[in-house]
Amino acid sequence: MTFLDRTTDARRFRQWEGNMEADYIYTSGVAGERFFVALRDGGKMLASRCVACNLDYLPPRLFCEDCFAELSEFVDVPPEGRVAAVTMAHLDRRGTPLSRPQVWALVTFEGIRGGLVHRLLVPPAKARVGLAVRAKLKARGDRVGAVTDIEGFEPVRS
Amino acid sequence: MRKVGVIGAGMTLFRRRLQETGKEMCFEATKMALDSAGLTRADIDMVVNGTAPDAFDGVHMKGEYLLDGCGGYRKPYTRVFTGGGTGVFSSIAGWWHVASGLADAVLVVNEEKMSSCQPHPQSVFAHIWDPILDRPLRPNLIWIFAMEMNRYMHVHGVKKEDIARVAVKNKRNAVGHPCAQLADPNITVDDVLNSEVMAWPVQRLDISPPSDGASAIVLASEDFIRRRKIKDRAWMSGVGWCIDSTMWTDRDLYFPEYVARAAQTAYKRAKISDPRRQIDFAEPYDPFDYKELHHLEGLLLARKGEAPILTREGVTERDGDLPVCPSGGLMGVGNPIAATMGQKIGELFWQLTNQAGKRQIPHEVHTGVAQAWGDLMQYGSVVVMSS
Ligand SMILES: [Zn+2]
Repeated sequence: MTFLDRTTDARRFRQWEGNMEADYIYTSGVAGERFFVALRDGGKMLASRCVACNLDYLPPRLFCEDCFAELSEFVDVPPEGRVAAVTMAHLDRRGTPLSRPQVWALVTFEGIRGGLVHRLLVPPAKARVGLAVRAKLKARGDRVGAVTDIEGFEPVRS
Repeated sequence: MRKVGVIGAGMTLFRRRLQETGKEMCFEATKMALDSAGLTRADIDMVVNGTAPDAFDGVHMKGEYLLDGCGGYRKPYTRVFTGGGTGVFSSIAGWWHVASGLADAVLVVNEEKMSSCQPHPQSVFAHIWDPILDRPLRPNLIWIFAMEMNRYMHVHGVKKEDIARVAVKNKRNAVGHPCAQLADPNITVDDVLNSEVMAWPVQRLDISPPSDGASAIVLASEDFIRRRKIKDRAWMSGVGWCIDSTMWTDRDLYFPEYVARAAQTAYKRAKISDPRRQIDFAEPYDPFDYKELHHLEGLLLARKGEAPILTREGVTERDGDLPVCPSGGLMGVGNPIAATMGQKIGELFWQLTNQAGKRQIPHEVHTGVAQAWGDLMQYGSVVVMSS
């Protein structure tokens, strides 16, 4: 090996630049389509129901991962959820300090298998497991049918 | 080693773009395969997933992403990957799960969702070239195939008309396939010869375009098959795989040595000493029409340079002496890379159990061979199956 020291300026060495460019469009799928249309048009979250296993999946799935039944029944997710875990992000993806820490949470709902990771709309000091929260949606006209139609989760009681 | 049988198969439609997510496509194919075997997910001991580069679907670690659709939830689950060779290789991985005695019943599920990649999967294929020697020249992947096709034509004096006959045969064979994307009952050799030149000698209709799709098979041990009284089964009697030099410049472009070595391993295991006489039909990998010919020679089913002659003489037609790609192959059914297991292993199962419907070979067949090709164009996987 010839590079014994940490390379801080790659241009000092003979080198080639490369870029793995790649662009994508993704389909939301059969169950995803139902979820996002209900979110955009109805302002509500849906779960898909497995009758055989007696459980509801959030986000909804076309099939039960356990009994492998095709799921065609959808139910409303209860409006109130609970924070199951939180984190405060201090750095962005490049490692640059954020001006204010961002609060993120895993939110789960009673009787529902799964949950959502999203912004928790409270100051870091108020972020805690067990907090009762509800989704704060963008206004109808601003919703496009994406997970970002949810601005985040806010406390039910402030 | 224990005897291993294929007892069920399923595949989705192959289309340029499907609404279903990769997971949902996997679920559909897996459910079909389980239903056809008369089993449920609870009967399955282990699951193998086969899928090509993450860059196609645009999901890193896509084997893990797809696992619920593959029936892998809370089971021993492994993704295997040998590029295009995955189309047959994943079934070999399934085979060793059962042959070794580790599992009695195994699902093998293959998927590709190439429509995610924009504007065309070609943009990520470009990254398989050497980053220092080749990529600064901005090559297109088709250049490799074009040079290989050119070399094959040059060495044996093969005419383009004889290569185009493969595209015509396979697109016509695919008319009877319920999943087919590229079936055409009226296509002619002239249509192929008059199609757009992409990288000479490769023209638009010499190549199978990218696609979305999934396929699945169920494998089981002889004991399991007997115990469950399963009637529709085809035995995997031989498997082989082999990889050639990492440098495509170092290979004999006119002859796929890696396929020949993989085939010899599979034939030895299947006790086949004279493949041309003992094998009744073949499903070689045909993402390009010339590759069917190339691979037939690699599979030792034709002498070097003889495959175009057999094709011209009708030997490889569905009702010929050696039907080749009776499924319609990749040229006719479509090419969602790993999911082409449906036309290869799936077709062998359906033909050997008399379930191929309109595609059924009209005479009796007992032994077939399937093959896929991939990695950096130097990899062959071969499976022999018998009734
Ligand atoms: Zn269930």
